[in-house]
Amino acid sequence: MDQDKQAFDDLFSLAYEELRRLASSVHRDDPYASMNPTALVHEAWLKMANSPGLAATSHLHFKRIAARAMRQILVDAARRRNARKRGAGVAVITYDDAAAALPTSADELLGLHAALEELARLSPRQASMVESRFFGGLDTREIAEDLGISEATVLRDWRAAKAWLGRELQRSL
Amino acid sequence: MMDPARWERVQALFHAVADLPPDQRTEVLETEAAGDQTLIHEVRALLEVDRDQHALLGQDLASVASSVLNDADPRRLFDQPFGPYRLVRLLGEGGMGVVYLGTRADLASVAAIKILRDTLSPSRRHRFAVEQRTLAQLSHPAIAQLFDAGTLPDGTPWFAMEFVEGLPVTDYCTQRGSSLAERLSIFRAAALAVQHAHQHAVIHRDIKPSNVLVRTDGAVKLLDFGIAKHFADIDADQAEQTRTGLRLLTPAYAAPEQFTGGPLGTPTDVYALGAVLFELLTGRRASDHSRDAADGANASRAATAPRPSAVPGAPVSASRSEWADLDVICRAAMHADPARRYQTVDALVRDLDRYLAGTPLEARADSLGYRIGKFVRRNTRAVAAAGIVAAAAVVMAVFYTVRLADARDLAVAQVERTERIQRFMLNLFAGGEGAVGPADSLRVVTLVERGIQEARSLRAEPEVQAELYLTLGSIAQKLGRIAQADTLIRAGLDLRRERFGPLHADVAKATVGLGLLRLDQAQLDAADSLTRQGMTVSEALLPANHPDVLAARTAVGQVLSARGDYPGAIALLSETRDRYLADATTPEFASTLSVLASAHFYAGNYHTSDSLNRRVLAMTQQLYGPSHPLVAEDLANLGAIQQDLGHYPEAERYHRQALAIVEPWYGSDHHRTALALTLVGRSLVFQQRRGEAVPLLERALAIRERVFGPDHPSVASTLSDLGSIAMAEGRLDEAEGRFTRMVSIYRTVHGPNHYLVATALSNLASVAVERQDYLRAERLYREAIEGYRQSLGPDNLNTGIARIKLGRALLRQRRHGDAATESLAGYEILTKQADPAVSFLRAARTDLAAAYTALGNTAAADRFRAELAETSIPPKP
Repeated sequence: MDQDKQAFDDLFSLAYEELRRLASSVHRDDPYASMNPTALVHEAWLKMANSPGLAATSHLHFKRIAARAMRQILVDAARRRNARKRGAGVAVITYDDAAAALPTSADELLGLHAALEELARLSPRQASMVESRFFGGLDTREIAEDLGISEATVLRDWRAAKAWLGRELQRSL
Repeated sequence: MMDPARWERVQALFHAVADLPPDQRTEVLETEAAGDQTLIHEVRALLEVDRDQHALLGQDLASVASSVLNDADPRRLFDQPFGPYRLVRLLGEGGMGVVYLGTRADLASVAAIKILRDTLSPSRRHRFAVEQRTLAQLSHPAIAQLFDAGTLPDGTPWFAMEFVEGLPVTDYCTQRGSSLAERLSIFRAAALAVQHAHQHAVIHRDIKPSNVLVRTDGAVKLLDFGIAKHFADIDADQAEQTRTGLRLLTPAYAAPEQFTGGPLGTPTDVYALGAVLFELLTGRRASDHSRDAADGANASRAATAPRPSAVPGAPVSASRSEWADLDVICRAAMHADPARRYQTVDALVRDLDRYLAGTPLEARADSLGYRIGKFVRRNTRAVAAAGIVAAAAVVMAVFYTVRLADARDLAVAQVERTERIQRFMLNLFAGGEGAVGPADSLRVVTLVERGIQEARSLRAEPEVQAELYLTLGSIAQKLGRIAQADTLIRAGLDLRRERFGPLHADVAKATVGLGLLRLDQAQLDAADSLTRQGMTVSEALLPANHPDVLAARTAVGQVLSARGDYPGAIALLSETRDRYLADATTPEFASTLSVLASAHFYAGNYHTSDSLNRRVLAMTQQLYGPSHPLVAEDLANLGAIQQDLGHYPEAERYHRQALAIVEPWYGSDHHRTALALTLVGRSLVFQQRRGEAVPLLERALAIRERVFGPDHPSVASTLSDLGSIAMAEGRLDEAEGRFTRMVSIYRTVHGPNHYLVATALSNLASVAVERQDYLRAERLYREAIEGYRQSLGPDNLNTGIARIKLGRALLRQRRHGDAATESLAGYEILTKQADPAVSFLRAARTDLAAAYTALGNTAAADRFRAELAETSIPPKP
């Protein structure tokens, strides 16, 4: 179990680093470029599939873990962004900052994160499903394979989960 | 409150009505909810969201991601104080962080402020902290110094370091049109900085021209310890560093093992220094000349290190012979196999100094022949120590660890100066290494075979041919390929005799070499006569303190010691010792002292032996620094002595110290680490702490299987240890499995009639004895005895011990006549030994007494009983 956890942590760090790198390079090259996490995850896989650390990892498994890494990256970034906005004693806040123009994205993301945590309590399977699909771009077939359930079940679960999350977000924001 | 069961219910109802037309929903809801208004309310809320879709979940996250990932606002940084500093301007961005120029108002000084760019990742934070700690630890004029460190209010860590305004070393030299001498001098300064880091157990891992800056005043600064690693941390997170390190390193200067995830160590930095040197000499990247630069991870890149002289348009001029030397230095630094590189930056610098001073290089001898010799010596010890049966093997273990850094290596170095030999060595090492992989000693075997082919073709140059035969012979000897060594060494000696006549120093030296081979073959008379003959001629022709004379005398001392003439050996070696300068600190002196220490040890002068060994240890420490593997070797020697003394806790202490040097030096996946683990494991076994020994030995086994492949003598050696433990703990199936594999490995490697095969068979036989399957034991012992006879001779100690054991197996079958024959034969062999194995002698007496009693030969039985009574067990020394 510890070994599994270690393997997961290793892979998670690996995906995290690569995604972070990709995300920042996209951003540096073109501030207006769309940063599509699904595309990032895919690109990360293309770059890393042949590295020694990933020799024994399937694409699906990688995407699954990358989805979690992506979620972590976005949530951490959102937290930091908010922390900065609220930072005590901050001398100057420059509202012409591009980021300040979209103040709700970070909050929404954090809201989604919190809702997903709550959903994980109610139904780990549904939470995992949303994470995979939303942050990693896994499609219905892949999620079904990953969780060992039928595609019909995935669609049903997804629909209910999405509705529930939507309601939680409405409540929290 | 919602709980999983409730959520199930909500969902079920949701699905039941979701696809119904809105007007039919209410009825179903009312019915199904059975008056639970909250439930109905919850489902309705979901249905509402289901219809509308929430904006965030509907979009593809791209804009959200773009907005939240929008990085730190740099303008804010300029408003913050960084300790006493304030930021002035951006200097650059690296893999880890952003670097700003900072000023310090109170001192009017500047610094480079490095800020961790992404503080989210724990691994990044850790690495950043490591870099800071590393800088704090290093203090060297050529390493940028750490000034200050802290954390911003939002938790972002930063540190301030010496701001170096300079050019990357390559640009600097290009702009100035620096001469060869200037380039080498700058390179040397950078190398010394790396060496300083190594002395503090830090490897840089990202040495490249842009991290080696030269200021306008010519001062060199090594920068960016961003992915540097402490030796101690390397195995702790080998996986982490090879994986995440992968993306951070700079492919053009990274050593092959950084791509393949192999163990990293000082040779990793040596490689990068080699690549920088290459670029300084040629103006081109080495990577463009050795591999497809676009695909750094491609394994084929490893084939050959590039040759700077082969690159056209070099910015420096040098003579042909200078280029030849520079080629050697670069290639020895950039060898694809880390084990064949300069092992330390120090060795690289020494060769550079020799080149600058115009004296002969030792690169080839040092990095190739010499180190192969060293490896083989190590390996031989493992091989020699393999038998659990042979008391002799323990003796030999100490014997083999005596360092043989003798004049042969110097001679080889000189001979190798010739173009011919250079080509020879390169041919030798060029082919097949990628394919064969890291099975070092098997590869050495192949190399020796190939070398013999090559050497045969050198008929026109008998002197060179002779030298090669002798060198190859000595390698074969260390590999335990005694017959081959015999042929080669005799061929070399004959060639020299033919050419120079009997009275020549080189002939004398080769004669001593043959004598030492005879010593290995346990032909002590021949060994004695040959080494003495060599010594006499050497002493007649050379000054009394000539290295050859001292080496010859040391060899004679070794033989005397092996014959059991400890007083003779001590007298001779003590006089030899006095011929060295009293305060000499040389490998040769250490070797003589070490042999002397062994002689004292066998003579029972444990105190003298121990203090001599300590002196050897101190000398090695002085010669090579406290964490050098040779120091570990001496510690292992001291440990072996303590082990033999029965001081197992002391042995354990020494072996653990050795392990503490070896493991960080070579990495935790290296065969030397495996050996060190094995020695600690054995000391534990003798303390009856088998449970603690097993994991160490298992680790050693795994390393050896990985490094050498499954069919290697050192794997067999570990199997032997583990098998013996299993036997001691009554796990007979495991023991049998281990020993069976051991037999098969030795057969594969050495052929059927090698003494190690016999030893393994004998181990297997002891399992059969434990199972009381005496017929099987008998068959195995007979096979073992035949093996010993063929390989070591009928009167060898091991043959004797095996016969005593066979005698006991026969006795258990109540075949008293046969038992008496074998036990008596073994007994007689043992009594002729200088150093009989007392416990086996005692076993023989006991069995003989029993056998003769059963046979009705009371007189004989009484004789052995009487002997038994006389020789009450002496306590093990």
